[in-house]
Amino acid sequence: MKKIIYLFFALFYFIPLHAIEVIDILGGKANELSVAVIPFQDDLIENEKNQIHNVIKSDLSRSGFFRVIDTGGVNKLPTSVNDVDYSFWSGLQAELLVIGRVQRSDEQIKVVYELIDVFKEKMMVSSEYSGNTKQDRQIGHQISNVIYEKITGSQGVFHTKIGFVQKINNNKYHLNISDMDGFNKKAIVTSTQPIISTRWSPDGEKIAYVSFEKKKPVIYVQNLRNGERKLVANFKGNNSAPAWSPDSKQLAIVLTYNAFSQIYVMDADGKNIKRLMRSRSIDTEPTWAPDGKSIYFVSDRGGGPQIYKIDLATEQIRRVTFEGKYNVSPQLSPDGKLLTFITNDNGFFKVGVQNLISNQVMKLTQGRNDEAPVFSPNGHMVLYTHKDSEKETTLSTVSLNGFKQQVINLDSSKNYEATWSPIDF
Amino acid sequence: MKKLVFAGLTLALLAGCSSTPLNDADAPSDAKAGKASEAVDQTSELGLDKLRSDSLLTQRSIYFDFDKFEVKSEYLDIVNAHAQYAADHPGVKMTLKGHADYRGSHEYNLSLGQKRSVSVKDVMNTSGANDSQIETVSYGEEESNQNCQGNECGQDRRVDISYEVE
Repeated sequence: MKKIIYLFFALFYFIPLHAIEVIDILGGKANELSVAVIPFQDDLIENEKNQIHNVIKSDLSRSGFFRVIDTGGVNKLPTSVNDVDYSFWSGLQAELLVIGRVQRSDEQIKVVYELIDVFKEKMMVSSEYSGNTKQDRQIGHQISNVIYEKITGSQGVFHTKIGFVQKINNNKYHLNISDMDGFNKKAIVTSTQPIISTRWSPDGEKIAYVSFEKKKPVIYVQNLRNGERKLVANFKGNNSAPAWSPDSKQLAIVLTYNAFSQIYVMDADGKNIKRLMRSRSIDTEPTWAPDGKSIYFVSDRGGGPQIYKIDLATEQIRRVTFEGKYNVSPQLSPDGKLLTFITNDNGFFKVGVQNLISNQVMKLTQGRNDEAPVFSPNGHMVLYTHKDSEKETTLSTVSLNGFKQQVINLDSSKNYEATWSPIDF
Repeated sequence: MKKLVFAGLTLALLAGCSSTPLNDADAPSDAKAGKASEAVDQTSELGLDKLRSDSLLTQRSIYFDFDKFEVKSEYLDIVNAHAQYAADHPGVKMTLKGHADYRGSHEYNLSLGQKRSVSVKDVMNTSGANDSQIETVSYGEEESNQNCQGNECGQDRRVDISYEVE
């Protein structure tokens, strides 16, 4: 099994010990590991979506590293290691098998599960979780995380949260947070005016966003622990595009006064504001490099919008994107090696990724109206907004491995402008 | 006589003190009267009749091409008419509100809407409108038709001119 996994990843990734480091994107359709996730014994809740095996199937499938085998027509589904017919499952091309058992009482749920290597006929993981009955999805996500880390060597993000804007009936706007797959949604801000540019702080404690409730854009920071919110930028003109510094202590923001958008840096409470640079063009959508040494941003100084980078120590500015005439909304991977952004490809707005070492560019999606990409906190997926013709905007993830696209399960309203919590949330 | 006057004044003062609610009740009608006469003054002083009837000044939207911010020549007459109007009436204050169609990023569209409103302001400045009379803002794509197709989207690439007095 180890050999199979090694060969598979060797095609795409360099593996130092057990951690995958994404250093290159070669593109194309990746080979996925085939996994059969068997319904857990006695997991008999009515809402099938919340059954543990369905949570795990959805998670593993979303990651792009796994092909989930349909077990619908199989008669004898094993629920313990002794029941497993290895030749049958290898005949179905299943490389991995996930089985388990559930015990539910009125208040408690206990889940025992095993991850099995079918070809080696060997158990890779056996473990158990217990919690209250409302934690069934969380337990499923934790099991997915263990499987993901065992196979890829990287931390899973299935337990993390996302934030996004939901527009209701054209006159109501909610800033929601939910599980990363869209479940357990709740509104933390409601407004009659538009909300855009949600940004989760790297320390996990706050979300910065832009609200039009003062009849123009201003910047608020919402504290997720105590629910308090603070107006941090309400200068003359527009206030927008907040971006957290890696230590969560500063915000880069964009102000206009009575002229073009320009980037400023201030303390996260709105004090000590300083202009970052002067230009006679649009400078907007700042985003900090994870090492805190530079800020990437969008500027139309060369004609159309392109992504640039300013070194904070030397104030040297360098253009980063060269492919296409319209590249906006830059966001960096947690290791700072990949840049995701929106690129206009002959009228189709797609999610692009640029390797910042080789400068190779890949398009992760087909468009036509994709927006606002952000990396998952392990850098393996990108969350973005898309709008199919005649439909409302909604959110999906796309994996860097295999470009697997999977929608976030939200009700039918318009959802957009997403942000992703840090991994330790 | 003197004594009487005094007494009368005292009464009036006392009455004044104790009848505060009465005075309050009177106040709004005074204010209304004041405002009404002010409004009459404004109409003539700020040339509001012209603003509401002039064939160019009643046109309040300037349209742009995709990802463009230059004022097209066909709109220069309208922009210049508003600039001339502002120059002739230094008390006038206007807002230029920029918009963009929904395609592309919300933030870049906010910046683009702002650039469009600034570019209209720049034309107005050269035609004599004072910078202090003009405020530029942007709503980006937030008020735009999220389902527009083709030429229809051009309706959202615009700057709207509005006046404080209206």
